[in-house]
Amino acid sequence: MKKKILLVEDEQNLCLLYKEELKEAGYNVTAVLDADSALERIKKNTYDLIVTDIRMPGKNGIDLITQIMALRKDIPIIINTAYQSYKHDFMTWAADAYVVKSSSLAELKAKIKELVG
Amino acid sequence: MIERYHILLHEFHQETSKELQLFSIIAQSFFQPFSLIDNLLVILTALTSGTGLGFNRAMLFLAGGDKLRGEIWLGPASAEEAASIWRVLSTPGIGYLEIIEHNRSLLRGDAGTLTKRIKKTAYPLGTVNPLVPALAAFSRDIVLVRDARHEPLVDPAFLEMIDADEFLCMPLLAEQSVLGEIILDNAITKLPIKSRDIELASICGLIAGNYIYTSNLQRRIVDMKRVAAMGEMAMFVTHQLRNPIVTIGGFADQLLDPKVPETKKKRNLQIIRDEIRGMEKILLRLGQFLRVDIKQQVPVDVRDLFKLVTEAVRPKTADASITIKSEVEEGLSAILCDPVHVGEALRNLIDNALDALGPGGELNLRAYRDSGGWAVLSVQDNGRGIPNAVKGKIFDAFVSTKKHGMGLGLPYVKRVVDGCGGRIDVESEEGKGTTFRLYFRAKPQEREIPG
Repeated sequence: MKKKILLVEDEQNLCLLYKEELKEAGYNVTAVLDADSALERIKKNTYDLIVTDIRMPGKNGIDLITQIMALRKDIPIIINTAYQSYKHDFMTWAADAYVVKSSSLAELKAKIKELVG
Repeated sequence: MIERYHILLHEFHQETSKELQLFSIIAQSFFQPFSLIDNLLVILTALTSGTGLGFNRAMLFLAGGDKLRGEIWLGPASAEEAASIWRVLSTPGIGYLEIIEHNRSLLRGDAGTLTKRIKKTAYPLGTVNPLVPALAAFSRDIVLVRDARHEPLVDPAFLEMIDADEFLCMPLLAEQSVLGEIILDNAITKLPIKSRDIELASICGLIAGNYIYTSNLQRRIVDMKRVAAMGEMAMFVTHQLRNPIVTIGGFADQLLDPKVPETKKKRNLQIIRDEIRGMEKILLRLGQFLRVDIKQQVPVDVRDLFKLVTEAVRPKTADASITIKSEVEEGLSAILCDPVHVGEALRNLIDNALDALGPGGELNLRAYRDSGGWAVLSVQDNGRGIPNAVKGKIFDAFVSTKKHGMGLGLPYVKRVVDGCGGRIDVESEEGKGTTFRLYFRAKPQEREIPG
């Protein structure tokens, strides 16, 4: 069985890139553009991993993580962001990994492998 | 009963000592927008103004790195020159401005050659057994040298330069650090340096040390502010560019795979091109913001200005069924401003208002004179208002609540209004709406000529 990943990324092109690359790496990827859509999916489906951006219009990634924690405590979460500085944010402790976006997706893929195989 | 006094030199009582008057000159100079060196020149002048504190010549060294470096050497080169200079300086009622001007011209003249000589000199502060002049700064003591030609602790090269038998070395200190040294002598009149001279000189030394210390601190604050602003901008640009760069890099990597079908190649190239265009836009907006430079201000008819900006947004307001009204008070015709930038600033405010307005919203542009005589342009909407969380930061660059916002719109508006010599304020309530008011100078009304 392919592992199911829910990807939250508000930049459309970037979202497409991650989706394609993670599919290529052998995962079953659902990609959404905002936190509210992500929450809807989480309520209805089960995922093995969530990869989320932090700065997004509307609800941000930190709020999303807080709400996921209340819903499904056991889903591993990877923060994937352009910002180094959120690493010091109080709520990022709840995530299992913190990745700063890079054009090489090697680090992101490695963290995913580490968490879900 | 209240009595008021303005502290001005020529109003001092006749019996007020010359020394006190000179200290007042020094104190007043610190309030002037002169450079560090200019103000230190005032202190050196007080020390050498003949009938004043009484020294003939003064050298200033400033500490830089681990060396004392020569900066200024003030004083007459000969007895004749001394006489003429001191005549000028003892003129009653001479102010600090005249003294500075006089000394600036001195520095350009003969004393300039003295300064040129000292400019090349530097004495290390960190050596184990320092010689005079570094000795005073090193030991933090005022050092009086007598019979200098027979004193082994005087640096021979320095002795050759100063060419005086007796001189006073005064370290400039503040907060545990050595900031420089002043060296005083009576090479022309050959008068001995007395303990009273040393007392007065030491007060000047304290003032100079503290002054250098304070202005160094000020410079550091300005530097820190500049570095902080640059850091903020660099961080913002980094983040703005990271997403497109990651996208471009990722899709470019895919292109390198020989198995990629032609259709995907084409799609990737299109994405890459779009992202690059997006980055160009970011740099363009940043450049526009950084280049606001208002030079020419002309009388601009407010009605024309309103007409221009409302027509430009007409298609947008019609689509969103938003009503836009404009009203110009009778008698207010023109404001003084840069029409291109102010037009663009109004466009920014109107665009923001339109974003905040839902269908059926209202936008009011008004122009009127307030009680202070300012011409006020107001942009009012009944939209959702500015969130309390960002209210205090709306004019800071790089603060935005929009998805692709650069946070440069309102800072731009503020820069434009400030640049035109006006100001801006804002009133906003969440759920009720926002009013921006831009204050400009009105064009003076022309008097009607009777008949």
